[in-house]
Amino acid sequence: MSTLPLLELRDVGKSYGANRVLRGFNLSVQPGEIVSLIGPSGSGKTTALRCMNFLERYDEGEVWIDGQLLGYSGTGRREADRDSEAKVDEVRNPLSMVFQQFNLWPHMSVRENVMAPLVLGKKMPKAQARTLADQALSRVGLSAKADAYPARLSGGQQQRVGIARALAVKPRLMLLDEPTSALDPELVEEVLQVIRSLADDGMTMVMVTHEMSFAAQISDRVVFMEAGQIVESGAPGPLFNAPKTERLQQFLKPWFNRSLTPRAQVTS
Amino acid sequence: MMNDFSSRMALYWPALIQGALTTLWLCAIGMLLGFVLGVLIHLLANGRSRAGVAFTRVYVSFFRGTPMLAQLLLLFYLPSALGLDIPPMVAAAVALALNTAAYQSQILSSGFAAIAKGQMEAASVFALGKYNTLVHIQLPQVLRLTSPALISELIDVIKVSAVVSVISITDLMRVSQQLVSQTYRPLEVYLVAGLFYLLLTSVLSVLGGLLERRWQERS
Amino acid sequence: MQELMSYLPEFANALLVTLGVSLAAAVIGLTLGFALNAARIAIPGFALIYSLYVWLIRGTPFLAQLAVIYFGLPVIGLRLEAVEASILSLALYSGAYFAELFRSAWASVPHGQVEAARVHGISGVRVFWHVQAPQAMAFALPLLGNQVILTIKESAVTSIITVPELTMTAGRIVSTTFSYVMPYALLVLSYWLLTSSVAAIARALGQRMTRHLRG
Repeated sequence: MSTLPLLELRDVGKSYGANRVLRGFNLSVQPGEIVSLIGPSGSGKTTALRCMNFLERYDEGEVWIDGQLLGYSGTGRREADRDSEAKVDEVRNPLSMVFQQFNLWPHMSVRENVMAPLVLGKKMPKAQARTLADQALSRVGLSAKADAYPARLSGGQQQRVGIARALAVKPRLMLLDEPTSALDPELVEEVLQVIRSLADDGMTMVMVTHEMSFAAQISDRVVFMEAGQIVESGAPGPLFNAPKTERLQQFLKPWFNRSLTPRAQVTS
Repeated sequence: MMNDFSSRMALYWPALIQGALTTLWLCAIGMLLGFVLGVLIHLLANGRSRAGVAFTRVYVSFFRGTPMLAQLLLLFYLPSALGLDIPPMVAAAVALALNTAAYQSQILSSGFAAIAKGQMEAASVFALGKYNTLVHIQLPQVLRLTSPALISELIDVIKVSAVVSVISITDLMRVSQQLVSQTYRPLEVYLVAGLFYLLLTSVLSVLGGLLERRWQERS
Repeated sequence: MQELMSYLPEFANALLVTLGVSLAAAVIGLTLGFALNAARIAIPGFALIYSLYVWLIRGTPFLAQLAVIYFGLPVIGLRLEAVEASILSLALYSGAYFAELFRSAWASVPHGQVEAARVHGISGVRVFWHVQAPQAMAFALPLLGNQVILTIKESAVTSIITVPELTMTAGRIVSTTFSYVMPYALLVLSYWLLTSSVAAIARALGQRMTRHLRG
């Protein structure tokens, strides 16, 4: 396939003062692809993800969404060179995000949380937004909780609301920042199931995760990072079963004896 | 003696009620205006403009470091010097508003700070925009969090409003001064006026306590 | 400019009056507040009187209290000069606030320390002075400083009964010279300077007193 990539990062880097947390990050994502970013804490994978929708202001390289440069108009990369909020919103419009800490708005009901990006962000009439919100909620299996408030929901349910919220805006690409890391173990599966079903429906995703077998199952590509750089990347099968670099081998040790079945081999 | 007192009370009562209503009305307007101003000051203080930040520091220091009476006199008489004629009620409301805004900005700031950063990130990612984020995400929560402290501030505003009597506004204090000049019974009249204020502040105090407990239960 | 020079001496006097009245009231108020708190702790049943007093003072405007004392007391035979009435009512007013500050300061000392002292036979009075007071006072100092500032601000109200302090003097100058801007500007600047200085002094004192806590 040589269509225009939906998301492209060229030599992207980010520093905090003297501390360079990300450098030389290259990634190209086609529609329908699922990319997982893995690596130890501090490897820069979350920073890379957050640069993709300008939650972090990258200061080296370029991020392109659907052929448009994100965050800057020219070549300057200082704080003063950044685009206006409105322009940034416009460019990152095709993207949405699921957060590790869910980030639901506690004073709004579940339905209101899902509707808010539509009504307040996209200026959609309430009736239309409500329909879309209800559809998204039913997609994640939470129609019954539409009028409940987030505090009353379990972690897994809250994250599913987060996913519904990210779905309702009909994104072309979803960013997922460790979607299950803040969940109690018994609640992880319900969220993974929802993500898997979205993948089966063809949603384009970039996901940071520690769930190795899940990453192996659904990804088209896995990117392993350490110390701010990409160390190894490729299809999950070869990457997990025959890691080329020493560092990836070290990293995968805890999962070494488990079978990591890549998506391509799961035929159902 | 008792009969005399109750007949005098019958005289005092309507005038004092009227004065109390004026006080309440004035303080409510001052409080509401002060709230809007307080939010603006908070936004300036946390904004990107260094001049804005400096301005808010000076503003808060000034209005908290000088007496309400002096601020009121300044605001009332200064426009006259410039040729503008400001009705006393307007001057009083503005003075109260400017004063309470300095205090409310501090109260509201701590409310804003208590909102998890992640909620703001989500608002940003879903393109809600600064205005919508402020009105639909932040303010509802800030109000819930700070309502006990805001009630306390309202109580302070009511107490401090007694000085508007010097620019002839017929608030509770002025009404009692008028009654004294009619009845020559300063001790009695001022004590009753004091009780009126006490009633106002006590009711609000109880309300504030209820709100505080409700908030404790919620969290 | 010459005009400014002409009323500067009057202003300086007024500043002294403001300071005098405020500080006199603050000193009396501090003593009163301290005594009220101590009585609340030591005398059973006094807590009710304490609560009533605090409720009355903190629930009403200072102007109303001043009016009762200056205009109302003569009715029962107690006639005071404007300055006397001002210092008295300001002292009674600040006393209630100081009492509350002392109360919360004493409450901030962990009760376990009090229990430990009592268990070892240390009397209540000794506990008050040697266990609670040192810690409570360190805690209270910035708050006490703040209350002194509030007292200075509140003293402006005494201008209404013609005490020749800052606000009254500014008003007088305005009505005799018909210039509004300079006198009122000077007025607010004087208070601002006063309160900022007291705040700075309180801060410095506080730093010095807690020097032993910082490594």
